[in-house]
Amino acid sequence: MVNDAGQLYTMEGVAAGIIMLLTAYIVVSTTSVYTTGDTHIPDMQLEQLGSDVLAMMDTPDTNGMKSALEIFVNTGNSTDFNNTFLSCCNATTSGKPDNLHMSANVTYRDANTNVITEHLFVAPDNTWTGRESAVRVTRWVQLPSGSPNYGSRAQVVLVEVLLWRA
Amino acid sequence: MACMNEEGQWIVLMGLLVAVALFFLALIINQSALVGQTTAEGVLEFPKNDIRDLREAVFDYVKEFGDADDAVREDIIAISLERKNAVVNFTVNQKMRVPDRWLHPVTIHYNNGVTVYNETVYY
Repeated sequence: MVNDAGQLYTMEGVAAGIIMLLTAYIVVSTTSVYTTGDTHIPDMQLEQLGSDVLAMMDTPDTNGMKSALEIFVNTGNSTDFNNTFLSCCNATTSGKPDNLHMSANVTYRDANTNVITEHLFVAPDNTWTGRESAVRVTRWVQLPSGSPNYGSRAQVVLVEVLLWRA
Repeated sequence: MACMNEEGQWIVLMGLLVAVALFFLALIINQSALVGQTTAEGVLEFPKNDIRDLREAVFDYVKEFGDADDAVREDIIAISLERKNAVVNFTVNQKMRVPDRWLHPVTIHYNNGVTVYNETVYY
């Protein structure tokens, strides 16, 4: 005769078995998401920071004036460009300044030959090994009266900044 | 099993419920690791700053040249393709009356293979 007492124990056994199987499945299927996750999030923050700094430098102090970025690019003043950019990037609200480094180049086009040239504007410093997780931020700069470095016609050049944390 | 004392079944049942609850909490923690990654990937992939910057460059162009055709237009198109992998085009038409002001209709097209952006704006 089959005794029908203790049905709950049977149910518990079945439920526990299912839970153990599902747990094992989740543990096995959860692999190495942490390594990719932690490179994308700082990259995103770095890109936003760099874009914001370029936008800030491209904003003139008063209406009708030239922006600092336009003046630096037009006159080829790479030292001041480097210093301004990095002092904005490395500023923190408290504690030590951040440790960001940059290099920059300016891309321009020769209208007659239709050749696009990259001009190294700020050379990378000695923290650059080529293995950094660097991000690129860009900004268009309009030069209405030309520039001594990029040609005398009115033109627009692309400033590209490579930004990394050393 | 059948000979065991069957009192206190609800304690066993509560234990079962707690186990199930812990299981779902573990599931949530498991998924939370992916949230930051997929969000960051989405933000990195979407060219928000590129599009904003392009619009600004186009508006600067209109401010400077109006609807005249200048080599600067070719600069923006060619450098976008060369350095930013984006197919860009924009046209500026003659000023027209938009309610009570005279403005240039500007069309902007942007396509980097992932994001397509089209806009008609009066500037």
